[in-house]
Amino acid sequence: MNPLDGLQEGIAELLEELGSLKLSGPDSFFISQYTVWMVIAAIVLVIVAFAAKKREALVPKGRFLNGVEYVVQWVRDDICRGVIGKGSEKHLPFLLTVFFFIVINNLLGLVPGAKPGTGTISVTFAVSLIVFIYFNFYGFKHQGIGGYIKNLAPKGIGPLYPLVWCIELISLFLRLITLAVRLFANMYAGHIVMGVFAMLANLFLQAALQGAGFAIALPSIGWELLIIAMYALELLVAVIQAYVFTLLSAVYISLATADSH
Amino acid sequence: MKAKSATGRNALLVSLLASGLSLAMPVLALAEEGGGGFSLLIPKMGEFIPTLIAFIIIWIILAKVGWPMITGMLDEREKTIKDSLEQAEQAKIQSEQLLAEHKAQLDEARVEAAQIIANAKEAGEALKADITAKAQQESADMIAKAHLAIEAEKKAAIADLQSSVADLSVSVAGRLIGENLSDDEHLKLIERYVAEAGSLDAN
Repeated sequence: MNPLDGLQEGIAELLEELGSLKLSGPDSFFISQYTVWMVIAAIVLVIVAFAAKKREALVPKGRFLNGVEYVVQWVRDDICRGVIGKGSEKHLPFLLTVFFFIVINNLLGLVPGAKPGTGTISVTFAVSLIVFIYFNFYGFKHQGIGGYIKNLAPKGIGPLYPLVWCIELISLFLRLITLAVRLFANMYAGHIVMGVFAMLANLFLQAALQGAGFAIALPSIGWELLIIAMYALELLVAVIQAYVFTLLSAVYISLATADSH
Repeated sequence: MKAKSATGRNALLVSLLASGLSLAMPVLALAEEGGGGFSLLIPKMGEFIPTLIAFIIIWIILAKVGWPMITGMLDEREKTIKDSLEQAEQAKIQSEQLLAEHKAQLDEARVEAAQIIANAKEAGEALKADITAKAQQESADMIAKAHLAIEAEKKAAIADLQSSVADLSVSVAGRLIGENLSDDEHLKLIERYVAEAGSLDAN
């Protein structure tokens, strides 16, 4: 028998499993596995933050505290101060929350059996909506509502101004979607790839067990190695995507609160 | 404290806006009915609303009592390290100055000590020469005095001797005149005289 026969069916199953499954609640407002994992990630984040806070001392002690502090310092120096610059301190708590919320969701999804909260568009869209409202709120606050709307397009482009303004307005709202989709697609695709590799490893092994000969199990080893490589890659992606999301949030805040476009 | 409460207020405002916008979501949710791959990109309310709520709650909690503690400690540590380094630098400069000062003082003290020793040697030499000269002078004086005394004694002795020789001569002459001397007696007399004179001379 051909071990690839079961692939089509397996992939359909995998996609269904990676979709939002109704756990409880009405059809229009059901709690899915992603909701549960997002809440777990949120609880983990609070525990991590408070455990770090409790261990705080002038002379840092222990790997845990040093690790958390390293990340906090990195977000503060590289993202917050690096991008926003002057007056960045007030945005730091928000950016720290964004980064930690996303990175913990992403990393939790790498635990076998767990799902990343960010593996569904609903969660990433919620965060990107908050970021969108946040940077526009500060834009309005900093430049005034009229000033912010007027400054969407740069000055000194003459008759092109209305056209550029429309494009800028569209790109402003596109940020909301690109932020959400980028993060979701990365996490979702990574899990599909790992799932397919795992399925292939399984199919070849099963074929061997069903008497198709020992040699047919050998590709399983290759697939397993690929899964390990993908796992390493996904670890990187989990952190990089959290970084990209936070970095872009900082860029949007900095654009909205800049003195002149 | 003021900044913290401002963050909390802003978080609340943003969350109000977010929940307002989320009311528009059912419109999008209706589009989901079409199904297919596109449904993946349609937010589901059961995931979307809890995320909004969870995120905003976490944001408010951590912005109020979580991050400020950690970032505050980072700032404090930075400041402490910077201050300590500056203090150490200051202390180093001070100790270097002190060392230089002490070295200079030591050198000065050495020069002074050498000067004192040289002075003392000079003074000692001078004193020695002085004492030697005085002693020589004194001994010379003493010798001169002794010479004078000896000379006086000698003169006195000579005068004494002269007077006793005259007396003796007178008494010898007296005896020669007063007695009848035989030849033999004469001889004895002369011998006695000579012996007397000799013993006198021996004195």
